[in-house]
Amino acid sequence: MSDLTWIVVLIPAFPLLGFLLNTFVIRNERQAGLLASAMVALSFVATLASIAVLQSLQVAGAGAEAAAEAKHHIDFVLWEWMTIGTFRVPFGLLFDQLTAVMALLVTGVGGLIHVFSIGYMHGDARPVRYFAYLNLFIVAMLFLIMGDNLLLLFLGWEGVGLCSFLLISHWFDRKSVPPGIVPSEAAVKAFVANRVGDAGMLLAMMAIFASLGTLTFYGQAGGDAGYLERTAEVGRQVVNVGILGQMSILTLITLLMLVGVTGKSAQVPLFVWLPDAMAGPTPVSALIHAATMVTSGVYLIARNHTLFSDLASGTAPWVVGIGVLTALLAASAAVTQWDIKRVLAYSTVSQLGYMVAAVGMGAYVAGMFHLLTHGVFKALLFLGSASIIHGTHETQDMRRMGGLRAKMPTTFWTYMVGALALAGIFPFAGFWSKDEIIAQAFDTGSPLTGIVLIISSLLTAFYMGRQVALVFWGKPRDAHAEHAHESTGGMKIVLIILGVGAIIAGVMNLPGLHWLDSYLHPVLGEEPAPYTIGKGVLAAVVTLLAGASMYGGWYLYARVLEAKIKPGKDDPGFRYAGDIWRGAELAWGFDWFYSRVIVRGYRMLAGFLASVFDQQGIDGILVDGVGRVFGSLASLFRRGQTGYIRNYAWVFFVGVVVLVGYFAFV
Amino acid sequence: MVPTSYYVLLSAALFAIGVVGVLTRRNALIVFMSVEMMLNSANLALVAFAQRWQSANGQILVFFVITVAAAEVAVGLALLVTIFRAKRTTDIDEINTLRG
Repeated sequence: MSDLTWIVVLIPAFPLLGFLLNTFVIRNERQAGLLASAMVALSFVATLASIAVLQSLQVAGAGAEAAAEAKHHIDFVLWEWMTIGTFRVPFGLLFDQLTAVMALLVTGVGGLIHVFSIGYMHGDARPVRYFAYLNLFIVAMLFLIMGDNLLLLFLGWEGVGLCSFLLISHWFDRKSVPPGIVPSEAAVKAFVANRVGDAGMLLAMMAIFASLGTLTFYGQAGGDAGYLERTAEVGRQVVNVGILGQMSILTLITLLMLVGVTGKSAQVPLFVWLPDAMAGPTPVSALIHAATMVTSGVYLIARNHTLFSDLASGTAPWVVGIGVLTALLAASAAVTQWDIKRVLAYSTVSQLGYMVAAVGMGAYVAGMFHLLTHGVFKALLFLGSASIIHGTHETQDMRRMGGLRAKMPTTFWTYMVGALALAGIFPFAGFWSKDEIIAQAFDTGSPLTGIVLIISSLLTAFYMGRQVALVFWGKPRDAHAEHAHESTGGMKIVLIILGVGAIIAGVMNLPGLHWLDSYLHPVLGEEPAPYTIGKGVLAAVVTLLAGASMYGGWYLYARVLEAKIKPGKDDPGFRYAGDIWRGAELAWGFDWFYSRVIVRGYRMLAGFLASVFDQQGIDGILVDGVGRVFGSLASLFRRGQTGYIRNYAWVFFVGVVVLVGYFAFV
Repeated sequence: MVPTSYYVLLSAALFAIGVVGVLTRRNALIVFMSVEMMLNSANLALVAFAQRWQSANGQILVFFVITVAAAEVAVGLALLVTIFRAKRTTDIDEINTLRG
């Protein structure tokens, strides 16, 4: 059975084929959408087949103890990518349990979003390009999760960043999309913020190469061991990092990786790009900026868990701190937003904070569990909001909505499922995964972490209650909302499938069953946390509080304050909370700080370099100065060139006399 | 037998006259003739020394000089004719287009 391992190649091959065909052959909107969706669906089937092959390897290897040890993953090397001395980078696709669950999410949810896009992007100016980029994104994401070395992972890491850039600026010809974002600027912002993180990733790779000489995760058959298996060798090695003093090499590597994670997974302080990334088409927000790409930081930490959980690194508290801080800040920002997508964007940032905090605490399975459930229900919420935006003629301001419950029943019910799942209400998917993280926080971390996570969870429930109240209850506050229409066909089916997923996805890792725990055990080596009565009580209390908070949010905005909400006016909460409300609305001034200090400082430096240094220094001294020196020298010598033959003959004669005299008498 | 030094002195005098002619005269033809005079003064010195040392080398060299001078005259006169056609003058002070 082991000769079937080549199947893993098909997983990225199908979307790649789709990308190439859409780029070079297809010129028709309908064909492009169908082809792209079919290719991702085939990739999903290939993933299922690969899981079966992986499973059969497991069974076959169980007999011999040693064989089971060696064969817990598929590593299919396509070719040697580069060989420099002893440094070898294979172009190898890794398929183990961690990759399997990620690939299922990417191709499964990704495929559904492709199908949804066929309806959503109907009549768009550039549909073929859109679908080509979408397929390219799937390819890059698959390389990210299937790379068997850090360099191939980085190829995918950059590839998804590129596709994110391309798709945020899909409507590059629009000067402004709600709420007043310029798509091309938002794309550049995302790219630049990611670049900061990517610099950290590059440095982390260099540090790993310098200390261990390899970038492959695990050893190949007959090859050298991968760096994840050799961390013990360098664990106590200490490096000098200039002004930061001495630190162990593991600390350095993990801190640099954490910088990469804050960029790609939108954590404090680099999260600012994600809310603006909503300038792209909404299915793109669902696929890239909620379900898959932004979770790659969590995947990176889970993949490198031996580095992060090694006590010598000591980075774990930082990871937890960043995650918890992000969860709280973004949840509070989400409460105050008017734009339907911005609420979800900040919500995504907040939930990513939960995941990062979880993997920082060493609860890798809990983090991956939340990643998977979040991927499903956040995709559902974004597609639901896409359906609302579509049905209300590009309305995104929730002040202009209201009363859509009866007009868009399918969207309403599926959206409610997503909202309940996100709020962590029993028995929806988010409840199981989020409570596992909170329980782990009390278990392993400090109680403070747990309390902050609970507060964020209550805020989450509150803003979802506020959102559904504003969108679906009350009276329509705008002509477009008055004449809203339900989405049709494929879009509705996708919403229903994802809605069912958001209800049952928690089954993956029910307490007591621990399917995900035991499935990921060969990779993460984490024992399922024992179930205690205290955790049950905690979960019950948290879900009750969340339910109350969500009801409170709904009650406030659907009943009490409904009459006070008018298009263009501030939220009633602004009157009571004032500056705090404004601060949350601006995401606590991170954007303000960046634009005032970093962007303005950079502009001033660039202005100085352009108008002073370049024009006066480079142009004035170096270019013009050299020219002037030769010009003045020439005007000195040109006097010798009279044009009279007599003068030349005279010089010639004197020269001859001098030379002859020299040879004759000296 | 005329002493060799007389020939050499005559040759030097002719050469000096040629140099002065080249440097001072404005008519291109005169300058040209001065150059010829310098060449012939060198020829004179050569045959004088050849006679003094009873060697044919100097005389053979004179034939070469005469041949080269003939070729030079052909080229030089052709140039002069062309310049005259273009400029309508043989005054070399008028021909100063190389002035910087």
